[in-house]
Amino acid sequence: MKIAATALIALAVLALGGPAAAHHSFAAQYDADKPVTLKGVVTRVEWTNPHARFYIDVKDERGNNVNWNLELASPNYLKRAGWSSTSLKQGDEVTVEGSLARSGANMANARLVTFPNGTRVFARSSQDGG
Amino acid sequence: MRTTVALGAALAALSLGYSTAAQQVPADSTAPAGSGGANNPALVGSVPDAPVPRLPDGTPDLSGVWVGAGPIGDISSGLMPGQQLALLPAAEALMKSRMAADDPEARCLPTGVPRIAPYPWRIVQTPAFGKPTHLFFLYEGNIHSFRQVFMDGREHPDDLEPTWYGHSVGHWEGDTLVIETVGFNDLFWFDFVGHPHSTQLRTVERYTRTKFGQLEVVTTVNDPGAYAKPFTVKFTHTLRPGWDLMEYICNENNQDVEHIRGPAGL
Repeated sequence: MKIAATALIALAVLALGGPAAAHHSFAAQYDADKPVTLKGVVTRVEWTNPHARFYIDVKDERGNNVNWNLELASPNYLKRAGWSSTSLKQGDEVTVEGSLARSGANMANARLVTFPNGTRVFARSSQDGG
Repeated sequence: MRTTVALGAALAALSLGYSTAAQQVPADSTAPAGSGGANNPALVGSVPDAPVPRLPDGTPDLSGVWVGAGPIGDISSGLMPGQQLALLPAAEALMKSRMAADDPEARCLPTGVPRIAPYPWRIVQTPAFGKPTHLFFLYEGNIHSFRQVFMDGREHPDDLEPTWYGHSVGHWEGDTLVIETVGFNDLFWFDFVGHPHSTQLRTVERYTRTKFGQLEVVTTVNDPGAYAKPFTVKFTHTLRPGWDLMEYICNENNQDVEHIRGPAGL
């Protein structure tokens, strides 16, 4: 039942995957020509505006943890799509697909998130209108 | 068993939904608000195929939660046929000088008029003593604010100080709500690409609920301080039956601005 609920949430989030503009131009903050896939462990979740954010520790080539700052949609969009502030939890191992920030910081938009149970969902970052 | 079937169907739809959605989303999306997720049928809810509702005095009832859509990336994409933007030289120079990080909306400041943010907003019409007195736009974002439209027949005052939403008075012409606004500041941008305006800006917005679930807004922008001639743009908003507004405090954790780079653009 828990799994079914998760799947339904995933469906709701997936269905959001259409283009729309957020409160800033996506292309001004992120470079769609620099896609990135990050696998790591959630260290913190910020259920805040204008974007919910979460942070993950990713191992670099030398085995050191590097903390990445990842943008989700606004909390309201996420909530309406079935997410909650506890959908991602500290300690969860996740995979994030997005685009790198133009600023060069360890930051990306989390366009797609793969949860520990394997569910892969759109997170409606500013690229998709969050 | 029932749970298993539901799960199976959900997963099947999940994989289908993902591949379809992934193909439809451009890598660098700049499409107008509401063209994608905000119009997702699963979230929009059931929109009745019914006549436009009316208030006791016969005027259309515009109340409800709407999600805006229109040319917020580049206002020129929403021009009515035959219209054009005729930027004056100083306004053109200002536009070219603008950097994306300076867009007030990215800094959690209001969109002004006619720009709308891709967040839900509610129209509230307030009758008193049998007559309309005010009309309010309650914006969930961006920002979490409101517009006040006086419906009691008053004129614009002559001692206005410039503000983000200006001073708005409204009246009905048939089934169309006409809102005239003056007294704007020159701080907000019309779009992501940075189309400017001056404090001489005057707008006339015409709201028509063309269907139960659709609200068209045709706005004439008259700003002799920035444009050689007026122009008219169209926005189309769609109803979200059963939705409620939620809190949205943009400035609680706005990390975007310090990472935005380059000139204003899509």
